[in-house]
Amino acid sequence: MEKLKELIGTFDVAYVENYKKVWIKAKLNKASDLLGVAQALKDEGLKSLVTVSPTDFPEENKFEMNYFFEDLLTRRNAWIKVDIPRELDRCEIDSLTPMFPGANWHEREAYSVFGVKFTGHPELEYFLISQDYYGKFPFRKGFDWKAHEANLIENMNTIFESFENEHVENEKRIGHAGSRTMLNWGPTHPASGPIRLKVEVDGEDIISVKPDIGYVWRALEHLVEEKDFIGALVALERICFMDNTNSMLCYAQAVEEIAGKEITPFAAMMRVVLGEIGRIVSHLMGMGGFFNNMGLMTLFMWALDVREYFLDVLEDYSGARIATASIEPGGVRYPLDVNLLDTLEKAIQKYEDTRTEFYTIFLKNPTMKMRAAKTGIITAEEVESFALCGIVARASGVKTDIRLDEPYAAYDKIDMDYMTAENGSAMNRFEVLFKEMDQSMSILKQAIADLRRGIESGEYDPQKDHMVKIPKKLPAGEAISRVEWSRGELMIHLVTQDTIPPEDQSAKRQPYHDGRAPA
Amino acid sequence: MFIDIVKKVFRVTKAVTQKRQAVVDVRHHAVRPTANYRGQHTVDYELCIGCDSCNKICPVHAITMQHLPLKKQNIVPEVNLAVCIFCGLCEDVCPTTPDKAIKLSGGRFDMLTGGLHANQQDFWVHADIPQSYIDSRLEEEEAARVKKELAKTKREAIAAAKKAEEAAKKAEDNNDGAQK
Repeated sequence: MEKLKELIGTFDVAYVENYKKVWIKAKLNKASDLLGVAQALKDEGLKSLVTVSPTDFPEENKFEMNYFFEDLLTRRNAWIKVDIPRELDRCEIDSLTPMFPGANWHEREAYSVFGVKFTGHPELEYFLISQDYYGKFPFRKGFDWKAHEANLIENMNTIFESFENEHVENEKRIGHAGSRTMLNWGPTHPASGPIRLKVEVDGEDIISVKPDIGYVWRALEHLVEEKDFIGALVALERICFMDNTNSMLCYAQAVEEIAGKEITPFAAMMRVVLGEIGRIVSHLMGMGGFFNNMGLMTLFMWALDVREYFLDVLEDYSGARIATASIEPGGVRYPLDVNLLDTLEKAIQKYEDTRTEFYTIFLKNPTMKMRAAKTGIITAEEVESFALCGIVARASGVKTDIRLDEPYAAYDKIDMDYMTAENGSAMNRFEVLFKEMDQSMSILKQAIADLRRGIESGEYDPQKDHMVKIPKKLPAGEAISRVEWSRGELMIHLVTQDTIPPEDQSAKRQPYHDGRAPA
Repeated sequence: MFIDIVKKVFRVTKAVTQKRQAVVDVRHHAVRPTANYRGQHTVDYELCIGCDSCNKICPVHAITMQHLPLKKQNIVPEVNLAVCIFCGLCEDVCPTTPDKAIKLSGGRFDMLTGGLHANQQDFWVHADIPQSYIDSRLEEEEAARVKKELAKTKREAIAAAKKAEEAAKKAEDNNDGAQK
């Protein structure tokens, strides 16, 4: 770490300091230094650029660019900031995409919503936002959302027309002779998720695939800005319903850091329990979906059966099965009824009863091996250069897991290890999914034992310890928070600011969220 | 052979006549009744202090405040269930103790299954406030106002009397001084 600090210190920096245990935070004075710093960091071993996130400061007339570099192997991370001017024609910065291929989509996103131009980017096109926002840069402060939403019909027409134009262009480009055609796979295809893949095919051969991932873009950052920090929870948990607890957990940690509050050990352990349930619920769906896409529905049905038992636990705890809103800044939302632990043990038992069947029928399935063992291979180098995370990274043998790299909640009390596989194929990812399920069960068992012990010895008070008060007004500040959720690494960069007109007493915030998807 | 047939007949009759466990009529019974179940709201207008907190925190703006012809505590929440996402933050933030004025934990689960809903109003939770309650509250307020006014006049009378007394005393003192 010290070496890293010295390395960054050789450049023209305003400050360079340690942040948390595994981060070095530094601010560059000149934007022209960025390429040099990035190259030095890459040579040092920080080969992954996780995300690029501008923050808008209209009063100071600047954008603050945040770059997050990670070394997936040795847990050394760097957070580099640099200011650029805010005017639309002057806000330019060097693109890091040629050096870090993983920066591609993040830079395109920053361009689409903030209008930051990245010079040297290979294909700087609009991305993620829907067509009616093209050229309007909605996340700049001062964008009038109400006025935009008032023209609903016009906006819809813009989207339709652009689809129509795209279709016409494709027809012209490809022509009617031969067997080439353009397929739109998704976004409403049951297997696609919210992704639209533009697949160009020649008969049965796929020539090119271009993803469009903006189908469910709902301007989350704006939604969170509109609400106070408790009301933002319900927007945050809807990042992904399958694993809603971990996204709230990530946000709650960021708020706590800014407010400067520590949660109780009981709440931390409850967060582990809820987080793992979220992971299991999502993984069961993922396991089922894997075979579902191969045309075998049985595992899906069986997995959903087991999943119900875990949803029961969530319902008993929070009153809702899917959108639980159960983790709040300051702890967990509800006190614990000790009977819940019995329900949880029942669910774990259900999984363990079914586990052998899952294992022998599906994991050792010869057909699955034939089809998936050589499909979609991702090497460890690709994982690093594209900054992949979660199951995808671990299936390629890269030992990365935020629960171990930067332990949050009560994961430092838990005995666990990296679950990895070797070859990085689709089959290996399924294998890791399965291993992680077993791991989650073991974590849950440890957590249950800890909770029972703590409650019996009087260390935890399940009725009172679940929450510490967080003041309604947050001070101005900035925090990043990372969790390992079922889809990999989730990072939230939260910036809070005091409002400028003093008559409005509520704290106004500029939140920012960036999820790293496991490809 | 004969026994087999008897066994089969027995099994089929049992299957047909016995109530199957998996079938629960969800229109009338919750599949899993839990204490925290977040369902349809109940609004207790007598507990409500009209602080507007639930309206402020609602993340989807499902709550509007109904105005009452009163001076204090003159707003009561109404919930649009078609917009509500049942997050329960309104209940969390409600300051009344020990019972909450707006409650959805342990609420009804059958609101969307009980028959056909031809009327949009079925998806609103109104606090049905009887006129008698408003009248009584108005009377209370009127009584409080009268009491306050009486107290005020009394206070004023006392103050005036005191002033007069003081003035008289002063005059007396002056008179005394003049005489001396």
